[in-house]
Amino acid sequence: MDNVNILIIEDTTSESDRLVQVLTKNNYKVVGIVKTYKEALAAFYTSDVKIDIVIIDIFLNGIPDGITFAETINAVPGETKPFVFLTSSTDRQIFERAKLTQPFSYLIKPFNEFEILYAIEMAVEKFYAQNDVFLSGEEDTVISSEYLFIKKGKGLKKVHISEIIYIEVEEKYCNIITEKEKFVILISLVKILDLLNNTNFCRTHRNFIVNTEKIMEIIPADNLILLAGNYKATLSDKYKDLIKKVRTLT
Amino acid sequence: MYRKIAILIFFLISCVTLAQKNNKLSVFFKAVELKSTDLEFVENLGEARLFFLKKQWDSTLIHAANQINKQVLDERENNYAHFFKAYSLYKKKLFEQANKEFDKVSETFDFYERVFLYKGKIRLEQRKFKQAILSYRNALEVIEKDAMVGVRKATIENNIGLCYLHLKQFEKADTYLSKSIEGLEKKGDTIKLINSYGNIATMYYDQLIDEKAIPYFKKAYNLSKYVVDLDVKRRVVKNMAVVEENRKDFAKALVYRKEYERWNDALNNQNRIYETAQLEKKIAVEQKQKQVTFLQAENKVKEEQKKVYLYSGVFLLFLLGILFSSYKGKVKRNKIITTQKENLDALNATKDKLFSIVSHDLRSSVHALKTSNSALSESLVTKNFNVLEGLLQTNSAIVNGAYNLLDNLLHWALLQTKQSYFEIASMRLFFIVEQVTHNYKPLLLEKNISFENKVLKSDVVYVDQESLKIILRNLVDNAIKFSNQNGAIKIYTRNKDAHIELVVEDTGLGMDEMTRLELLKETVLLSKKKNDGTIGTGLGLQLCKSMLKKNHGKLAIESELEKGTKMIVSLPKHLQNG
Repeated sequence: MDNVNILIIEDTTSESDRLVQVLTKNNYKVVGIVKTYKEALAAFYTSDVKIDIVIIDIFLNGIPDGITFAETINAVPGETKPFVFLTSSTDRQIFERAKLTQPFSYLIKPFNEFEILYAIEMAVEKFYAQNDVFLSGEEDTVISSEYLFIKKGKGLKKVHISEIIYIEVEEKYCNIITEKEKFVILISLVKILDLLNNTNFCRTHRNFIVNTEKIMEIIPADNLILLAGNYKATLSDKYKDLIKKVRTLT
Repeated sequence: MYRKIAILIFFLISCVTLAQKNNKLSVFFKAVELKSTDLEFVENLGEARLFFLKKQWDSTLIHAANQINKQVLDERENNYAHFFKAYSLYKKKLFEQANKEFDKVSETFDFYERVFLYKGKIRLEQRKFKQAILSYRNALEVIEKDAMVGVRKATIENNIGLCYLHLKQFEKADTYLSKSIEGLEKKGDTIKLINSYGNIATMYYDQLIDEKAIPYFKKAYNLSKYVVDLDVKRRVVKNMAVVEENRKDFAKALVYRKEYERWNDALNNQNRIYETAQLEKKIAVEQKQKQVTFLQAENKVKEEQKKVYLYSGVFLLFLLGILFSSYKGKVKRNKIITTQKENLDALNATKDKLFSIVSHDLRSSVHALKTSNSALSESLVTKNFNVLEGLLQTNSAIVNGAYNLLDNLLHWALLQTKQSYFEIASMRLFFIVEQVTHNYKPLLLEKNISFENKVLKSDVVYVDQESLKIILRNLVDNAIKFSNQNGAIKIYTRNKDAHIELVVEDTGLGMDEMTRLELLKETVLLSKKKNDGTIGTGLGLQLCKSMLKKNHGKLAIESELEKGTKMIVSLPKHLQNG
């Protein structure tokens, strides 16, 4: 699992220091701290690492440039990322404007550790339109087109979907097996199927979802699929047809 | 010479006939008016009748002609129309046309006998004596049967006699004239009698039977002395003069001539007087007319004035109404304003009180901080490091209290001015409680108070996030404030139908019933400090109540002295309307 990358746009050093402290403690990776709108744009579009979440102070040097930034990145739908607004004022007018940059998450200063973590989770949920995932306690994973965002401890972690070899479903739980590690997430099968719909994943058994990219060999006689990293998955009769549709490696 | 006389006498008769008409005709007109009342509203005929009765012949003529042109089939109406027309024509001396019109009147006409009479008159005027006699005889026949209105048999007989006279049929003339005189003598109509005497005298005179003629002339002359009519007198006297002249008795003739001259003069005089009188009358009428016009104008002006008065009266009344209603409205408004002012004054007083309490508390906090700080620097100077930690902790406690107060103050102000962002959304209570209580961990630890968040993760309420946080902050702050060392604070929920009750329970000081009720009252600020050293204005709880109201929630308190307090906040489970 990888750390979630966060860009902080904040002009007050003491505030950004506190943020960094809290975020780092909860396994987030702060990939940049910028103080102006210009720097923010540069950092957002030219960063070497992928930015997953942006924390934006609404007022930069006394003007609401933070909202302008959010408006700017929201203009390109494919490029935008989840963000959280930071503000010390609850001024209605500012909020009404900020609210237009849907989805809208905010954090009011002064904030404590729980509040910032909560705000980040809310932002991710809202951004990927999977409300009530982290809070309900019944699930712990939000799926985007590239990553699984998984709640781990108090913070979030991410897993690149292409790294997944296969998923083994056990009732509410899913065992995720990547080349590097194995872990369990809490998510319903229907949801995971639905969200993996258009990728290379394919169901081979009631309990198995396999990344077709990682299939090494299919042995129909044994109802077995050999996967990268010497993993094996079951192929049931019911799903044999599906396999035919997939590029078969020999 | 004889002829001259005859003409003179004829003239006299026709004159007399005209004069007589004025006296007697009104009877006939009355009769016509009575008989034809039902025709009053018939178009044209009604007007013709009206003008006929007014004796305006031109107008009668026109309306009667219009009526005839309508070609109405009603015989009675036609009769009247023709009669009116004929009579008017007769009056206009258009005898031929009048005669023709009279011919068109049918026998059923109410006054058909009159037609004979007028026809006779016309013929007489036209000197068509034979035809006149025919008509008069017809009239006479009718009159024999039943009396004609306003016509005397004698007159007709006289006229017939006259006709015969002109036709030189003296015997017949004699008969009729004598009959006429007989009738007139019976009735004692002087003027007609004079006429008849004159006529009969002329008849005899024409026949050169002087001995018969002269007594009649004399009779006429004698009778004329009792008559006022100057014209009659004049003519009779002239006849006498002519007669005497013819008898060559010039002395007498002269006397008669002179009398004639006198009467002539008198007549002229009378005429002049009459003319003058007429003129005067005319002037008088004109003056009267002027007066009438003036009065009319005056009346008009008065009417206008009346109208003006009326309108202005109405307008004034209207104005008064408006004034009254506006006055009433003003009184009402004033009343409202007064109550509002009282309310505002009360609120302002509360605010002032709040101000003084808050500033007082802040001042004592800052003062405590100052003292503590000087103690701190003193310790640093004396290098007495052992007390430093204690002092710092005191400082941070003081600052925390002051901060909370200021925070509440700010939110209070924002709430009053409605400047704050407010959005009701679904909230998971558990996480909010976690976030809020996180800040109080050090305080809890310091007082060694155990804390439990027993709220279920599934508890969802619909509130504004910031409001909920402020409420929770205050409740938790109070719970800690009023807890003793080693106390316990629990936060849990009770699920009701439409609400979730969030309970903040402490094992602290508790409160008596009076305080409890006081706290639940609106706009009461408590300045009492139950716990020394801590700030308590009641502002926090007040803010909670206001916030809750805005979020469709409620506050309840359960408390027992020395045992603890339950602050119960009920929050809506569903989105509320409005």
